[in-house]
Amino acid sequence: MENSPNNLIFKTTTVLISFLLLGFSVYLFFSGHNSPGGGFIGGLGTAAALVLMYMAYGFKTVSKVLPINYRILTMTGVLIAILTSAGSFVFGQPFLSHTFTYVHVPLIGKMELATATLFDLGVYLTVVGIALTIILSIAQDRSTSEENTSGQDTYSR
Amino acid sequence: MSALQDDFASIVQMVSIICLIVLSVSIILLIIRVLKGPTNADRAVALDAIGVNIMAFAALLAIILVTPNFNDIVLLIGILLFIGTVAIAIYLEKGDLIDTDDN
Amino acid sequence: MTNLAILPILIPFLSGVLVAFTHNRLGLTRTLAMLLAIVHLITMGFLSFHVLTEGSIVLEAGDWIAPYGIVLVLDPLSALLVLTTSIILVAAVWYAPSSVSEEQESFYFYAFVFLLITGVSGAFITGDLFNLFVFFEVLLMASYALITHGGKKVQLRESIKYVLINLFSSMLFVTTVSYVYAVLGTVNMAQLAERAAASDSPGIITTVAILLFFVFATKGAAFPLYYWLPRSYIVPNPVISALFGALLTKVGVYSLIRTFTLIFHQQPEIIDNLFIWVGNLTMLFGVLGALASRNIKLIVAYNIIPAIGFMLVGIGMFNIDGLSGSIYYLLQDMIIKAALFLLAGTIASLAGTADINKMGGMIRSHPMLGWMFFIGGLVLAGVPPFSGFIGKLLLVRGAFEKGETVTVIIMLITSLLILLSIVRAFIRVFWGEGNTGAEPAGKHGSQIFSAGFLMLFTVFLGIGAEAILPSVQQIADYLLEPQTYIELVLKGDH
Repeated sequence: MENSPNNLIFKTTTVLISFLLLGFSVYLFFSGHNSPGGGFIGGLGTAAALVLMYMAYGFKTVSKVLPINYRILTMTGVLIAILTSAGSFVFGQPFLSHTFTYVHVPLIGKMELATATLFDLGVYLTVVGIALTIILSIAQDRSTSEENTSGQDTYSR
Repeated sequence: MSALQDDFASIVQMVSIICLIVLSVSIILLIIRVLKGPTNADRAVALDAIGVNIMAFAALLAIILVTPNFNDIVLLIGILLFIGTVAIAIYLEKGDLIDTDDN
Repeated sequence: MTNLAILPILIPFLSGVLVAFTHNRLGLTRTLAMLLAIVHLITMGFLSFHVLTEGSIVLEAGDWIAPYGIVLVLDPLSALLVLTTSIILVAAVWYAPSSVSEEQESFYFYAFVFLLITGVSGAFITGDLFNLFVFFEVLLMASYALITHGGKKVQLRESIKYVLINLFSSMLFVTTVSYVYAVLGTVNMAQLAERAAASDSPGIITTVAILLFFVFATKGAAFPLYYWLPRSYIVPNPVISALFGALLTKVGVYSLIRTFTLIFHQQPEIIDNLFIWVGNLTMLFGVLGALASRNIKLIVAYNIIPAIGFMLVGIGMFNIDGLSGSIYYLLQDMIIKAALFLLAGTIASLAGTADINKMGGMIRSHPMLGWMFFIGGLVLAGVPPFSGFIGKLLLVRGAFEKGETVTVIIMLITSLLILLSIVRAFIRVFWGEGNTGAEPAGKHGSQIFSAGFLMLFTVFLGIGAEAILPSVQQIADYLLEPQTYIELVLKGDH
């Protein structure tokens, strides 16, 4: 940390802003399907919030707070998306068919529940996983290539 | 009453279009700054300003097209812009975006 | 049950994800990959049988009616190609453990292979031009990952070329699709066919068609656009080379067959001549490349190109014999190219070099390998009773019917030169002095068996031609009648 700049303001605002961002990305995720938003853009919003946290606090700190393997997150997302769309096999509908219903939830009121949201959840997880895998591996590649140039790192992570 | 509303709407449309043109010119000037900019800090500031202009662009388009759907986009551009500027700033300061081995 | 049409995409996709989950436990990954590949093969066998006996399956994804939503059409042509793909998948997964390093294997190797198969199968069964582009991208993404898998310097150098060429042709593809949409107002292939046939300005449609021809010719490595292919295809592991050589170029050829028989056949005199002459030049130049090289992998890779030429010529004939020759050749070439790439990989790995001048006398220690390579050469050259002969016979008959004597001569010369290039490699590697790769086969045993598994199918395609030829001719017949496809997809009510 000897050459690290004084980033107290940045660290403090990150706490606030990244949570605002996470909230906004959840809003974007749920507003999808009929208006702008959805799994993809929501996932990007979440990824942006996480990248902000990584930038402010460094890899190790955030990894302690969020011990997530983003590759497994990606695979889980794809699996959810596939299984949701393949659910149509069970109901004898054409592949990728979706349905929705309206339910009355206390405090919130009338709410639309669509199976497309489940598919979107898969997309969301995939996008978060992929974006962070790419960004983190590029960031780590840079710092490891300065330390050792053995070139074996391709497989180690 | 309705005639007044129509007048008002057409004035808003016209003003928005003029604003769009002015924004376009300023974006072009900023791009010149990005390309020329003597230091990287100049470029960072110019990129930030381009982002602000694009936000304004989206908002004006929302007015012209009379749709609320662009509002989220304005917010989103703002967020990405913030992160982009922070990333450039950190890069200029440290040369390494994400600390992998501190703390 | 129309949902059956999604299975060729769904099974490899799901398998890819499942295999990716287990990537840390190598034994489990291998078993699972093999198991899923066999499940895929059996399912595709069942599906092809179903389609050939009971008719095509059309799936309107998401319950959107045909011209508005995306349709997946599993017709006899697609079904046979998907079946062939699954055969190659089984052989590749069988060959992989003994050839790919464990480090590479645990780095999502099988997941990428399955994703490649997803893209290829998707391209084979989609009934929508834009969706075809999407599946091309899926298979290209997987292929970018596979061609750089391992990260050797030479791989990175060649893959840059591969990636750039493919990015450019994808860009051209999507531009062309937008032209098609601008001219005809739809991207659904059946509706395109209907509208193109009713269009009163065939000139512009032919122009767009020639642009599309260039796109698919880049993917399929036709004459002026093949130069990037052979050297890129030999740098990755033999399994990956086999998958690329067997599948990727053939997807381009399939797209040509599909779009040009169905949609863009408004001005036959232009389109047919284009196909025939590009095909002729592809045959000649490709085989010259094979003759000029001394690297056994490169010889096999160059032999992809004349095969593409044969198929293009067959499309250009546009009669039953020509088209069924093309399809037959397409099916058998997928299998034999995969087998030859696997064999060449085994030979190079046993000898420790790929240069045929540095090898010799291999037949003493590996007779099985040698004779299989020799049979592969005979199949490629089209010596009876192997499968290459049937395809070429049909093509020659089609060419005579069309009156293209020059093409017949070029085809015969090319076949001879192919035989020369393979037999010369065979003589250098297996006969003569020296004793290359004298150590026992060991882990290479399973490699030879997986290539033999593919050989079985090509021999079956040759000797059992009686069983397969009727359905191939039926497919050619069906391709010549676009109306059947249009009615199948649009059901006449729109």
